[in-house]
Amino acid sequence: MTLLEVKDLHVSFPTTDGLVQAVRGVSFDVEPGRTLGIVGESGSGKTVLTQTLLGLTPGADVAGSALFEGTDLLQLSEDELRHVRGERISVIFQDPLTSLHPLYRIGWQISEMIRAHEKSVSKKEAAARSVELLRRVGIPKPEIRVNDYPHQFSGGMRQRAMIAMALALDPRLIIADEPTTALDATVQAQILDLLLRLQQDSGTALIIITHDLGVVADIADDVMVMYAGRAAEKAPKRDIFYAPHHPYTKGLLESIPSSKAASERLKPIPGQPPSLINLPSGCKFHPRCGYVFDRCLTEEPVLHPVAERGSHASACWLPATAAGLSAEAEELREQVVQAERGAEAAVVAAAALAELGVSAAEDAAGDRPGDNEGSVA
Amino acid sequence: MAPLMAQPTANEDDVLVRVENAVKYFPVKAGGFIKHTVGQVHAVDDVSLVIERGKTLGLVGETGSGKSTLARCVAGLIPVTSGQVFINGTDITKLSRGAMRPLRREVQMIFQDPYSSLNPRRRVGAIIGDPFAIHKTATGAERKRKVQELMERVGLNPEHYNRFPAEFSGGQRQRIGVARALALRPKLIICDEPVSALDVSIQAQVLNLLSDLQQEYGLSYLFIAHDLEVVRHVSDKVAVMYLGRIGEAAPAEELYDRPRHPYTVALLSAAPAADPDTAAARQRIILTGDVPSPIDPPAGCRFHPRCPKAQEICAKVEPQLVRDQSAAQPGDDGQQAADAGQTDASPMGGDVPGGWAHVTACHFPVVPGENLATAGAVAGAGKGDVA
Repeated sequence: MTLLEVKDLHVSFPTTDGLVQAVRGVSFDVEPGRTLGIVGESGSGKTVLTQTLLGLTPGADVAGSALFEGTDLLQLSEDELRHVRGERISVIFQDPLTSLHPLYRIGWQISEMIRAHEKSVSKKEAAARSVELLRRVGIPKPEIRVNDYPHQFSGGMRQRAMIAMALALDPRLIIADEPTTALDATVQAQILDLLLRLQQDSGTALIIITHDLGVVADIADDVMVMYAGRAAEKAPKRDIFYAPHHPYTKGLLESIPSSKAASERLKPIPGQPPSLINLPSGCKFHPRCGYVFDRCLTEEPVLHPVAERGSHASACWLPATAAGLSAEAEELREQVVQAERGAEAAVVAAAALAELGVSAAEDAAGDRPGDNEGSVA
Repeated sequence: MAPLMAQPTANEDDVLVRVENAVKYFPVKAGGFIKHTVGQVHAVDDVSLVIERGKTLGLVGETGSGKSTLARCVAGLIPVTSGQVFINGTDITKLSRGAMRPLRREVQMIFQDPYSSLNPRRRVGAIIGDPFAIHKTATGAERKRKVQELMERVGLNPEHYNRFPAEFSGGQRQRIGVARALALRPKLIICDEPVSALDVSIQAQVLNLLSDLQQEYGLSYLFIAHDLEVVRHVSDKVAVMYLGRIGEAAPAEELYDRPRHPYTVALLSAAPAADPDTAAARQRIILTGDVPSPIDPPAGCRFHPRCPKAQEICAKVEPQLVRDQSAAQPGDDGQQAADAGQTDASPMGGDVPGGWAHVTACHFPVVPGENLATAGAVAGAGKGDVA
């Protein structure tokens, strides 16, 4: 049975500058025991999306549905939501220092959460459970550290404490919003390892929100790439990394420096993400897209299946067969673009190129001494 | 060009920055009215390095490893506790403020956070024009023209001269920071996490810009980042810092292909790879615990409490940076390298981090083919399997 089923979720915030359309029709499912990675840049709506599910976006206009174990989260009252939060769904935030109260002991904060939801638990029992939880997440000497204040913990330990708190009531779903962004690489590895292990032990489903494709490659089963409040592409992990269909996904993958092409020039995506108040027409990615053609300017594509793989879907007007990083796929894309690109789209494409060209054009002049270096390396 | 007191020897020609035994301690104060020092934060502890002209030295390390402090010492923003920093042959640690001033033009900085490093109430043109005003090198219309040239060079629209920083996106603000750093045509730009605050798609734009500028103006970079792939991409040489010391340094490809310090190996194995197969195939070395406090760093090798290869000697004797001997003697088990002792630093900076040699401060360096992930199970397993 599907644990969480989000259908056509819209979230917008009325502001004095205009309506901020943070999430514009997103649907996705989470199965028990699976990990969904939601990837996107700042302003893509990935955080607002999950916060809305938990009723943490006051003042927002929300439409759509989010069935969790058969109940629509968006229809619940504040009281009913309180029971879902923490008990059934728990959250781990990015910055553990600001999510823990600085004036209360770690153990007290975990106990309080247990006692708030399970009224019959005594203070003593709750304290004992706190120690056990800290032990589970790998805090050394938990019976002593449970009396520490947050500032006495290091960043990694604080995040472990947050995870302990998230696990306290044995939830069915954990939402981790950039759980490792504030941490160092070796500590990040510890925390991801811990999350994976705990998930395998308890069968909890996990939604991990991140801007880091490396984190997703590591622990996600399925991936949803978001752009300007919508899912640009949704697929099992391997399809996203090895057969991306949406030019944005492809652009993200290509813009990361990798060891395979260490000396090559990076391929950035031109321009910047659009304003959510004043979105472009048609496909929201078209001003930055290298494959833009006429249809992209006027009609916004919806998710459609890519090739035969039923679970791989992409919101792009390029034909379903044009997926992947191979030369054939690239040729196919170029053919479509040549056939379909009219004068108007050509102007847009040229503008995007010019945006990169500021450096690229002068590059041609300034690059010559460097060319030698490139060929040596 | 500022008249420099440099009298470089012939083999010093390629070296722009030379740091010798730099130490920076910050006092830890306690007490009420009468403060007294109760300890020292050993932020940078006896670090030497060189930065060559037109090249990039990458500095990696975790929070608290002292990389930013070291960068600020190189920039002359904070005085060193002891040691020397030569820029173009001049020791800046001995200079008065006035004598330092012309040298400040040679070294500029780009900061991590493009939101807090620009004054929100000043116009972009004024911000980028500040270096000209401070050093009195251009005024009025000439300054405006120069600023607009800079804006164009870094990919900003020169017509946005009168806008405020808030009107720009993160990537564009970082370009403003780059333009400001570039204004006085410095020789060295210190980039302290220049792209960590930027979105992935924008990171590449800024990294490309930095590499274009390097080629165009022959700039040297001291490039600090925690993202190992980014550092690999931009750097010629890389130094790895841990708790105030350099644990290993080598030319970039060499360091990434044949890391010898267990910490470097762990750091590389922990770095997220945006490739599911690579991520699944590699064996992650999960280090236990956290970085110890720099107020009271561990005795001996500073990494030993977390090191899967640590033995008794590691807790007692601090290893020195020595050249990789195994390259010359294939099959060397590392013990010999440790026995070889400290090699004299050549004037070219061969054995100094940032030079051409692969140097490691470890009693039991990792040899190619060795599996550290299993070594952890048998603490003190020593040499492990040699491939």
